[in-house]
Amino acid sequence: MLRVAITRIGMAVPILFGVSIIVFLLMNVLPGSAEAGLVSDDMSAAERQAIRDELGLNDPMPLRYLHWLGDALQGDLGYSAQRRRDVSDLLIQAWSNTAVLAIVSAVFGISIGLWLGYLAGTRRGSLIDRVTGVLSLSGLSIPSFFLAIILLAVFAGGLRILPSGGATLDQGLWMAIRSLVLPVLSGSLITMAITARVTRASIVDVAGSDFVETLRAKGLSEFEVRRHILRNAISPVLTTSGVQIGALLGGSVLVETIFRWPGMGLLVFTAISARDLLVVQGATLVIAVTFVLVNLVVDLLQAWIDPRVRGAVS
Amino acid sequence: MTQVPVLLDKNFGAGTTAADRAEADRRRDEWNAARTSEQSRSFWSATFRRFLSNRVGVVAAVIVLLLVLGAIFAPWITSADPLLGKPTERLQNLGASGHLLGTDEQGRDMLARVLYGGRLSLLAGFVPTLGAALIGTTIGVTAGILRGVVGTALMRTMDMLYAFPAILLAIAVGASLGPGLTNTIIAVTIVFIPPVARVAESATRRVVVQEFVEAARLSGAGRLRVARSQVLPNVLNDVIVYASSLVGVAMIIAASLSFLGLGSAPPAPEWGYMLNSLRGMVSVAPLVAIVPGFFIFLTSVAFNLASDALREAMDSRL
Amino acid sequence: MDDKGKELLELLGVSKTFHVRAGGRRARLSAVDAVSLSVRQGRTLGIVGESGCGKSTLARVIVGLHLTDDGEMIFDGKQVLTHRRRSTDEFKQMQMVFQDPSSALNPRATISESIGFPLQVQGASKAAIDERVATVMSDVGLPASYASRYPHQLSGGQRQRVNIARALALQPKLVVLDEAVSALDKSIQAQVLNLLTDLQEEYGLTYVFISHDLNVVRYISDDVAVMYLGQVVERGSAQELYDNPKHPYTQLLLSSVPTLDPTESTRDEPIDDSSTKDSEIPSPIDPPSGCRFRTRCPFAMDICAELAPAQIHLGEGRSVACHLYSESEVQAVPA
Repeated sequence: MLRVAITRIGMAVPILFGVSIIVFLLMNVLPGSAEAGLVSDDMSAAERQAIRDELGLNDPMPLRYLHWLGDALQGDLGYSAQRRRDVSDLLIQAWSNTAVLAIVSAVFGISIGLWLGYLAGTRRGSLIDRVTGVLSLSGLSIPSFFLAIILLAVFAGGLRILPSGGATLDQGLWMAIRSLVLPVLSGSLITMAITARVTRASIVDVAGSDFVETLRAKGLSEFEVRRHILRNAISPVLTTSGVQIGALLGGSVLVETIFRWPGMGLLVFTAISARDLLVVQGATLVIAVTFVLVNLVVDLLQAWIDPRVRGAVS
Repeated sequence: MTQVPVLLDKNFGAGTTAADRAEADRRRDEWNAARTSEQSRSFWSATFRRFLSNRVGVVAAVIVLLLVLGAIFAPWITSADPLLGKPTERLQNLGASGHLLGTDEQGRDMLARVLYGGRLSLLAGFVPTLGAALIGTTIGVTAGILRGVVGTALMRTMDMLYAFPAILLAIAVGASLGPGLTNTIIAVTIVFIPPVARVAESATRRVVVQEFVEAARLSGAGRLRVARSQVLPNVLNDVIVYASSLVGVAMIIAASLSFLGLGSAPPAPEWGYMLNSLRGMVSVAPLVAIVPGFFIFLTSVAFNLASDALREAMDSRL
Repeated sequence: MDDKGKELLELLGVSKTFHVRAGGRRARLSAVDAVSLSVRQGRTLGIVGESGCGKSTLARVIVGLHLTDDGEMIFDGKQVLTHRRRSTDEFKQMQMVFQDPSSALNPRATISESIGFPLQVQGASKAAIDERVATVMSDVGLPASYASRYPHQLSGGQRQRVNIARALALQPKLVVLDEAVSALDKSIQAQVLNLLTDLQEEYGLTYVFISHDLNVVRYISDDVAVMYLGQVVERGSAQELYDNPKHPYTQLLLSSVPTLDPTESTRDEPIDDSSTKDSEIPSPIDPPSGCRFRTRCPFAMDICAELAPAQIHLGEGRSVACHLYSESEVQAVPA
């Protein structure tokens, strides 16, 4: 097991490097994009050159990358002139906001998805199965921003029982919950749908296998049989859940934009609009790294739970 | 060579007299003739038949077809201009005279905008999927056949792209490239290439160890020929099933980009953009405001159902 | 067909090793170790052994799907270069029939496409391909109407006939059959074996028939070679080998075969397989030193652990690799 863990972690390192390279390239590949937020059209050419020099933008690309990476590894992701704060500060604040939203959405979406998928999988063809199927399909097909708009219109606009945006997380539990309800509902529906689908499919798969028949033949009660089915069916659900959590931690740009939730997604979006390059770079990097790490943890969990994944003699 | 005793006489079970054997011959010929007339179905026609027996899938496919036709023949369906509107007629409700789906905040006819917008959305759904399917399959099959250093390098690169949440990557690429439908299509293609490559690579690894691939090499065929004639047709199954499920997702990602202002530039009637611009009007004219969102939803449902049905129709094969 | 009996294929000291990962370490898997065999024209050489003895690897080495690490191969009097990939022409002479009827055929290709593929690769014209496919299909007893069918529409026995037809498409002189009937029901096996012997007689084919089924090998082979962990432990004519097995492994194999003849039962007097011996086949990654069979051999001596036994020739085509026969009545002639 230890060997597997080391291998997986080892494989993650080059991926993290690759991710940082991609992020850097994306932001710096187009000429003029780097300093766009800081120069204005009425500056003279000399002034622009001066600014470029100051930011180190006239150095060759690989050098700039290494500088940036070196700083980043020490926690320094640059300074945003527009917002007059260190990028790292901005990210820490935004990340914790996104984390709250992501975790609540994940817990909500995955647990309901698991429950529905389990019901659907163990009662194939029944009403609950078909209802779950329809719900999952809708959840997959409805864009989160559309759902958000509808929910806003109904609850914040029409009924006025919930706020229309903003994260009030520091004014007590009740206010926090009020501000979380709509964003969580909008963002977790797709997680719910995917989890329900995968759970159902996995349970149907395992329930049809020979060893389950053997358990029944041995006289186990249906309840105990279902317990065994669940234990074996959990593996693919774990994988998808990991991906979902990672995506949620990435901060749904859409949900956060609509609800003005001050998280990573909103940060990236506003920074892109304002061409605040360093913020975009830093935020994208952090999001991607989080995603990779979450997937790594899920991988290791899977290897721990399921001995088959640990690998055999090739 | 020592005379090997024959295990089973050719005429075993055919009887002992010449008449009996003649009768057996006749019956055998009849049976063979019956088999000859049985049309041997090609893979695709059998799949098609099975698809047709899935009612939900057929309905979904019909909806997709209607949407496509509506988008293509938009100018013939409505004479209204999707880009120009009369401000005096703004925000008319559904069913208003001359405006079946109402008008938007600038007085433009919604039906026209939806139909013309359908062109953009469908393009943004199909083109990236096709592009990613082509490029991703090439990468995946190459990695699966060559394996070793090349294969690992290719797949690791795919992993690096795969390490970004889809929307984020699309936004980053879209922002980097700039607004416009073409850039959106490029961005979504890039987002889809890694997952398709993964599916293709895993399918290739499964196929490559089958004996018929070895048998093909035994004829003297080089690796490229074996890849093209033996491996590829068997990998395409998996790829097609997976790619068909991506069309709806592509559409939604493109709509999301437009919603955020990173996609097609105004006044292009892209559904996502429309949803954003009508957002503020949701209290004033709710039904009109949700029209674009509804169409995104409908198209996505139809694509998902159709691709599910396609997967079922293709699965029972192998 | 005129010089029946002359050697068509000769293998001299052929070896093939694989590099694998076992438990995280790199290891060498000795699949085929210094194998020497010969097959006479128009005859059938049976190769028998249990799983993991290397017979499938040997089959692929013979037809050129694997390259050798050591040793020589002589076909029809000419040397075959086995260290590099064969040319298209060279592939024509030896073909193979695979074991699993399902996975041996491309599920997306019609029968005639599968059979005709080798001819296509060789560059034959469409008319020539069609003609040859038709000929060979009727040779194996498949109705012409099957040409446009797909493998899933055929039964196991019919698919195997297609495999045979494909192997014959290029008119090879030698056909290797790797467990060609093992996946078939018994009655179908009989039909296919009949077919094989018919074809052999009609076209003067030479067969290398590989199987773990001793009865089938006995039925169809003229000569037999017994393999264990990558090495040939005994060779001889089928008759001699089955009537008078010399190598302890051969004896063990033959005594394990259930027979229908009650007088042949060895149940009440099993070969001494004392409990201190392993009853599992050792791994080919780390084979036992000296004689590879010594861990299961009831007659193992000290020398067996130190020295690998050489092939002792006991007469016309008969040889055995065992220290029991070093100082036997027959003169030990170095290979």
